[in-house]
Amino acid sequence: MSEKIKLCDLSKCTGCRGCQLACKQWNQLPAKQTFNTGTYQNPPDLQPNTWNIIRFQETFNNGGVDWLFRHDACMHCTDAACVKVCPSGALSHTKYGTVALDNSKCIGCKECVFACPFEVPRYDPETDKILKCDMCYSRVDNAMEPACVKACPTGALQFGDKDEMLEIAYKRVKELGGDASVYGDKFVGGTHMVYVLPEKASVYDKLPEKPRVPLSVIAWKDWLKPLSLLAAGGVIAGSFLHYITHGPKDTSGDGDHASKEGGE
Amino acid sequence: MKKGMIKVSDGFERIVHWSMAISCLILMITGLGMMFHSFNFLAIPFGGLKNLKLIHNFSGLVFIPSLLAAILVWWKEAGILDLPDDFEWIKCAGGYLWHVENPPETGKYNVGQKAFFLAIAGFGIIMIITGLVMWFPLGLPVELVRWMYPLHALGFFVIFPFFFIHLYLGTVGVPGSVSAVLTGWVTRSWAKKQCPKWLREMEESGKLEVSK
Repeated sequence: MSEKIKLCDLSKCTGCRGCQLACKQWNQLPAKQTFNTGTYQNPPDLQPNTWNIIRFQETFNNGGVDWLFRHDACMHCTDAACVKVCPSGALSHTKYGTVALDNSKCIGCKECVFACPFEVPRYDPETDKILKCDMCYSRVDNAMEPACVKACPTGALQFGDKDEMLEIAYKRVKELGGDASVYGDKFVGGTHMVYVLPEKASVYDKLPEKPRVPLSVIAWKDWLKPLSLLAAGGVIAGSFLHYITHGPKDTSGDGDHASKEGGE
Repeated sequence: MKKGMIKVSDGFERIVHWSMAISCLILMITGLGMMFHSFNFLAIPFGGLKNLKLIHNFSGLVFIPSLLAAILVWWKEAGILDLPDDFEWIKCAGGYLWHVENPPETGKYNVGQKAFFLAIAGFGIIMIITGLVMWFPLGLPVELVRWMYPLHALGFFVIFPFFFIHLYLGTVGVPGSVSAVLTGWVTRSWAKKQCPKWLREMEESGKLEVSK
């Protein structure tokens, strides 16, 4: 099965939030009480019940104002920090390269919340579990595109085979010129949501310029885990060897009376 | 009880020892079940990983007061090096690794036991702090929380080897030791081998408790 990519061309996004709503509809995530933060961005951030949102951002440009929209959701990394840290296997890779979430296996440890370089997984205190976009695995596995892609009226969101999507992305960046770039294929082993960014990546709110698996996760999972097994195995084997070669310490003495005579 | 046995621990010490030992053992088994996918099966008798997490967290709550009590009880006897005698002990590893004719005399605890105490005290505190942050991480700085996990793993890397060597030397490695933490009474020959300086001091000061 070939890897699939959701291509998100921000130059075509009109901020209609069709993707946000379609996601809620397909995944049955009714809205909750929200509050106004002075922008159209609503709710203010990703939530356990909001797996993708449009970020609305105003930037000043030569006396005018640019209004930037960004469809924000799980990036579905190939080298996914969340999968690396998940103790229960609730987070795993699918045959499409995307990162699926088996919510029934989640134990609510929140390790993925802090491992993710994009701060995507959200903890739900009501169920003591985390939730995030799973790229509509239920749809994709039945040869449908994700709900957000299906709903997008402008073609900003597209879904398809990796090679095809990347080809479209690079072609589009060439057309756009200027600061436009492809975002996603060059780090964390390649993400399965890829952006066409009309502006520099640094312009966008909450979009890390050089995302990577945190060093703490590498130190923990790649270094300390094998080292601790080695150390544990080492002392168990070492103690056994000590016993059969050096032998136990002789603490018997010549009976308890002899000790008074001073000799060992 | 036989005559001439020596009292080496009081009831409080033994309670502290076992609440530490049992909570620590449960913490290591449940922690291992969460740290490695290949050890996930350890969760089966508890009804799943979520319960394993709960047992881990609440055993931690037993471990916290036990560790603090242990530090209070033993820091004077096991937390301070007795130089230069302890240095002599280090040079010959106390006779535990190769044959030494007359190993240096030690007080209540030898350098190995002191190292064990210091490792457990130091990394135990690290385990408590990192563990509590991992339990309640929401709202704390991301970069801070991220480093708690490798520190917690480092704690296991250090504590388990010490724990196992302690278990080995406290049982089959040094016969006659277990009773020190079960009944508190040991044989005079054991005490003379394991803590000669302490034995002498206690006898000289007349504080030594001997069974009649």
